[in-house]
Amino acid sequence: MELTRGRFLSLLGAGAAGVLLGGCAKSPPPVDVTAAGFGTEATGTVKLWCRSALQAANQLLVDRFHAAQDRIRVELTPVQDAQFVTKLATAIRGGRVPDIVDIDDINSALFINRGVFADLTPLIEALPFRDQLSPAHLALGEHDGRYYALPSVADNSALWCNLELLDRAGVDIDEATGSFDGYLDAARAVSGLGRDVHGWSFPGNGSGALGFTVQPHIWATDTDLITGEIGHQRGDIVGNDALRRTLGLLHTLWDEGLVPSDADADDASRWAANFHAGRIGMMPNGYGILVPQAPPGLLDHTEVRLLSGPDGGRSFFDGGTNFCLPNGSDNPSAAWEFALFCLDVEQQARLPESGYIPVRSDAATPEFRADYPLALPSLEDIGAGYAPLTLAYNRIYNQSDGPWLAMFRRAVFGGDIDGAMAQAQDHYDEILRQGDA
Amino acid sequence: MSSAANTANTANSAANARTSSAEATAGSAARRAPRRRPGSLTHPSRTGLALVTPAVLFVVVFVFAPLVVAVYISLTDFPLIGDYDFVGFRNYSLAWSDRVFNEALFYTLLYTAIVTLPILVLGYTLAVVVRANRRGSTLLRTIFFLPYIVGLTTISFLTLLEAQPGSGAVNVVLETLGITDGTTAWLVDGPLATGLIIVMVIWAVSGLTMVLLMSGMQAIPREIYESAELDGAGWWRTERHITIPMLRRSIALSLVISVIGSLLAFTQFYILTQGGPGSETTTVVMAIYRRAFVDLQLGVSTAMSLILVLIIAVIAAVQFWLLREKD
Repeated sequence: MELTRGRFLSLLGAGAAGVLLGGCAKSPPPVDVTAAGFGTEATGTVKLWCRSALQAANQLLVDRFHAAQDRIRVELTPVQDAQFVTKLATAIRGGRVPDIVDIDDINSALFINRGVFADLTPLIEALPFRDQLSPAHLALGEHDGRYYALPSVADNSALWCNLELLDRAGVDIDEATGSFDGYLDAARAVSGLGRDVHGWSFPGNGSGALGFTVQPHIWATDTDLITGEIGHQRGDIVGNDALRRTLGLLHTLWDEGLVPSDADADDASRWAANFHAGRIGMMPNGYGILVPQAPPGLLDHTEVRLLSGPDGGRSFFDGGTNFCLPNGSDNPSAAWEFALFCLDVEQQARLPESGYIPVRSDAATPEFRADYPLALPSLEDIGAGYAPLTLAYNRIYNQSDGPWLAMFRRAVFGGDIDGAMAQAQDHYDEILRQGDA
Repeated sequence: MSSAANTANTANSAANARTSSAEATAGSAARRAPRRRPGSLTHPSRTGLALVTPAVLFVVVFVFAPLVVAVYISLTDFPLIGDYDFVGFRNYSLAWSDRVFNEALFYTLLYTAIVTLPILVLGYTLAVVVRANRRGSTLLRTIFFLPYIVGLTTISFLTLLEAQPGSGAVNVVLETLGITDGTTAWLVDGPLATGLIIVMVIWAVSGLTMVLLMSGMQAIPREIYESAELDGAGWWRTERHITIPMLRRSIALSLVISVIGSLLAFTQFYILTQGGPGSETTTVVMAIYRRAFVDLQLGVSTAMSLILVLIIAVIAAVQFWLLREKD
């Protein structure tokens, strides 16, 4: 057969395509965590990937691990938060996986549902502190009754209160923080203290930050905005009374000028500035954002409460990270040994130094209570934490063009709560349908 | 006869003279030379093949093969991780019925339609200002081209700072002029953000159009302008009947580059609005990016990409057809 130019090009193209697709189709071998001696007396190097936001926290743990033993060396690779999922997915598809990842707990399910992480169930069930672990973290790492993720670090939302302002406004913190009526009355009283003082604050253009701090008001009523199992999920928006009342509260706070006037433009980059300046009475936020940069003295008159539902109840966003072992890992035994070291109470109790909260409730020792009182509320009520289990979390809550922010802005700043919820219902359903496809 | 007609005739005569001369040369050569087999008289055909093979291989490996793979992926439910199955044309059907993709496509076409003409007009105007080798021309060319060199990424970050309510220069200037109260949140309102980005982009990329058109202007023989001047043509008539017709190819090139760049807009929107609020400023590339790397659905996103490639190809072909040399 004569090799014409056309045939030559076709063969070349088909060959290249075959090589590329063949490389894409490899499936890594599963990690056998039941092998004898797994996780004990391991040696060698462990490749650890962490979110860049947690680099400092992970580096401290790595340094302490190296100081505690000399059999295992951990190589820490920080990966930008926004690129973590893509980079890890690419590494998995390319067959060059790290030995262990400290992954955003919200994103754990993306990988677990595709069967690329090791089944850690026997190891987790055997842990003596299994029942003290954060239930919400564990739930995000569960699939068909099996656990694929070990909670590592918590990053929880809560309501931060400036006691000095509350006292000046004659507000009792416990009465103010138990219901929406209490919030509103307190916000009005604090805002009355002066032109630059406001009772409440939220970053009205920060989609992820709003997901972190507003959703717990709804979860406090044992309701979520997403319903159903992965594969069959839909939005629970229209008819969701807790959501309607939450959006109503925030609209009132905006409408009455009880939040700073630039709240509608804040993408969370200036989120804590007004609170740090002592001009905000109450603000939902996280420990790692407020505490490390707080000016001297402010934290002495700051108290923390969990976020309330419309008529009571408490909840918080149980964010943070999970340890997962990708299938195909070169040294999973040593990786697990490092993970267990990080879960020691001694290590967990020092997490607030880096701006994070332990995932073990028994880390709240007397010393911990004395040293980190502002990190205590979510730890003392660890069962109240929650985070939605869905493959579409990023698309719905963390993207600026997602339906969550669109609903929030239309309802809170535009006042069209019903219209915003109806539109969001369609968009939630559409994205969840696509995410499950 | 009016001076405009004279000017047009001058240009046509010059063009016709060149064409006639070329045709005459070709015609006489054809009459003289006997018919022979195609191929070089001085080099064997293998030489030509050897010379083009590296370029062909490059195109096959880096353009053709990825395109074949992309078409294949678009016919599967390819996720970024996990197994995949062949799904036929379902991804194309999903893409066409996808609200975000369709809205983004419409928004991108609208954005392209709005920015294209101002970029051309401003670029042309700047080229007119700097085309002559007068004192200061080089400095002006550098100044006008500088935003393009600095790049949209850096300019977008600067704009992000300068558009902040209360503190940004945009608001400070508008407040000083008494136009606004200085608290306008430009980037959280769809139309306002789009307007700001359009102004920024026109300013940032007109320099490229200026350079392309200026080089075309400088290639126009000076004698034609002198002839037009003798005929009494003024500046506007000279531009209209000599410069613009003879810049047809440069204008076509500028327009094609500008339109393709606008249809593929991503950086400025990603930095300034991230597609929000809602999906009001989501461009089609951003929608595709999110489908691929946030939703991890490469099959659908690749189908969307190929649809975009086809749309760009059709628009570019129409542009070339409209701006072709008619004679």
